[in-house]
Amino acid sequence: MKDEMSDELKDLPLVKAPDAIWARIEAELDRPSRATRRLRPAFAWAFALAAMAIIGVTVWYGALRSKPGWDVVRADGSKGKIAVGDWLETGPTAKAVLTVGDIGTVEVQPNTRIKLEAAKPGEQRLKLARGDISATVTAPPRLFIVDTPASTAFDLGCAYTMHADEDGNGLLRVTLGWVSLEWAGRESLVPAGASCRTHAKVGPGTPYFENGGEPALELAISESRVRDTLTLWHLLSRVAPVDRQRVFQRMVQLVPLPQSVSADKALQLDPETLKLWREELAWKW
Amino acid sequence: MVAGLGDLDEISADIIESCRNGDRDAFRALYETYKDKVYSIALYFFHGDASAAGDITQQVFLKLIRGIAQFRGESGFSTWLYRLVVNACMDAARRAKPREIAADIPDTRSEPGSQEEDLARRQRAQSVQAALSALPVKFRLPMLLRYFEDLSYEEMARAMGCSIGTVASRLSRGHRMLAQKLESLR
Repeated sequence: MKDEMSDELKDLPLVKAPDAIWARIEAELDRPSRATRRLRPAFAWAFALAAMAIIGVTVWYGALRSKPGWDVVRADGSKGKIAVGDWLETGPTAKAVLTVGDIGTVEVQPNTRIKLEAAKPGEQRLKLARGDISATVTAPPRLFIVDTPASTAFDLGCAYTMHADEDGNGLLRVTLGWVSLEWAGRESLVPAGASCRTHAKVGPGTPYFENGGEPALELAISESRVRDTLTLWHLLSRVAPVDRQRVFQRMVQLVPLPQSVSADKALQLDPETLKLWREELAWKW
Repeated sequence: MVAGLGDLDEISADIIESCRNGDRDAFRALYETYKDKVYSIALYFFHGDASAAGDITQQVFLKLIRGIAQFRGESGFSTWLYRLVVNACMDAARRAKPREIAADIPDTRSEPGSQEEDLARRQRAQSVQAALSALPVKFRLPMLLRYFEDLSYEEMARAMGCSIGTVASRLSRGHRMLAQKLESLR
């Protein structure tokens, strides 16, 4: 197979990466993390005093030394640790930055309550009971997991923000890579630039690109662009059978149905067919 | 010697283990093993844009180094590496505005030939580059992965997050389209 490919590609040279790239990588490796840099201001004392007055970050440190956990840097610069099973809650103006093993950071925004559920090499997991977090993770897929009252977010190598309220309603915004939102057999794949709401007792909604807005069915069908096949693909299996044909027609109008995808099977919601179609459409997202 | 694509050794388990322990020399060894392949894929993916290729290479290796402690070897190292490459290229392509195709890609092969041979080889490479750049992303990326890393279909499917059948179909169609485009350029 390689020989066949090489017929056309054999003249394409392997290009030497410029030496400067490694120097840039080393410089990045030697720099403290962004979170730490942000929390080391010149006005540390004034900031710390003000922060102490208004901030209510509470970490329960029970049996910390013997349990695995993540490092915590609070907004006043003080450091601590959150162990598996512990809760962390921020006050109205408080923030904290958690170091997720060696794979990334989670910034905890004000009025947020989280629980550390797992901190081991194969699984880094937290529960977001309410509030907002920003996560930046560089790790193999599905290693960093966030549970909310109505969804579980599996990182697929990415950066994202997530909001959840105590009832289970929430919003995921992905800025880099992909996130898989899953709940009770329902799955929404959300790429960079897209958002997805979660709904109490229902789970993840339909992903959409920000400038497209959250879809109402009629709007999703009439106003959709090629990229919005992301939304339409997810809608296909979620709308009533009577609407499915209309969603399907709009999709194939925007992006012709690939030869490898059977229209009948797609309308019957055959899982393999839908997966194959998604793989083809994903290149447009 | 010509910088052949199969000349580079796979990274050893020892180096990966040392990387997991934070050994900077091991990071460098890992970087040296894969840097040209990653850079070349990004360079051809971004139509010869050296700046974009440098950014992608830096980004991929930083993610790799920072995440390697969590690498458990359940999937191949190359699979993970090239998944990072695919994600980085796709993310950058989504953000990027259309770029001008660079006029030339430096030929870093070290084996000297006659002036005529060199010129002919450079012209062929430029034609292939132009044809490759004109392919839609979904065909361009698998062809680059296949050519520069010789990943199996299964590895490519994992790296690109799609099925083996899709990989096979994209390679086959990409190959046909490339041949047609090259024919029209000649």
